[in-house]
Amino acid sequence: MEFPTIFSITEFELDLNDLIARVTLPTTGAACVFTGVVRSVTERGDVHKTLELEYEAYAPMAEAKMHQVADEIRQRWPQVEGIAIVQRVGTLQPGTPTVLIACTAAHRDTGVFEAARYGIDRLKEIVPIWKKEVGPGGEEWIEGEYIPKFGD
Amino acid sequence: MNRIKIMFFATLKEKAGTNETSLEIPQGITVGEFKEWLFGRFPNLPKSKSNLLVAINKEYAFDQEKIPDASEIALFPPVSGG
Repeated sequence: MEFPTIFSITEFELDLNDLIARVTLPTTGAACVFTGVVRSVTERGDVHKTLELEYEAYAPMAEAKMHQVADEIRQRWPQVEGIAIVQRVGTLQPGTPTVLIACTAAHRDTGVFEAARYGIDRLKEIVPIWKKEVGPGGEEWIEGEYIPKFGD
Repeated sequence: MNRIKIMFFATLKEKAGTNETSLEIPQGITVGEFKEWLFGRFPNLPKSKSNLLVAINKEYAFDQEKIPDASEIALFPPVSGG
């Protein structure tokens, strides 16, 4: 059976249940799901409030890089079955899911937790998406820290 | 000359004043030389080369690489998705 790989940039609301169902196979017994959410109150580091986040992507490259992240996951955790990597773009309000990484496998001790963690970490390194934070005092583009290397 | 499509994203789009343009660049220049050329053309771009990422035809490109003819070049800051 072919394992499903879903990757997309979307302007629409993330349907978490639907996405999990699409990476669930008859052999699946474990699904590890990470979803990022717009946080309105930040207490770690620079304490501040967020009114909304505006996401932008270079969609064709972003989807190609999401596919690459899925390939990297499969190389590292060959027991992973389905993989979904979906980023929502546009203006998103606090409490809204922004991104979903779901990995499925037959059992929980197959690396599914690590695979989903790797997926979100890698997305934040190499997938061309940016967010602008709008707060009470104005707006600011958030810049990442990772500089891609050869092979990324 | 080599006609290429250039796209800017996020803060670079605002600093360049455009999100997409088509330009002629000297044939056979490298990504590093292209960045210098770009700073002359778009003086408001941040001059820190390390924070100016370049993708050619949807793959990350590095300073020593030559730019192929008719490339689609994207310029953007380090990514911040999630």
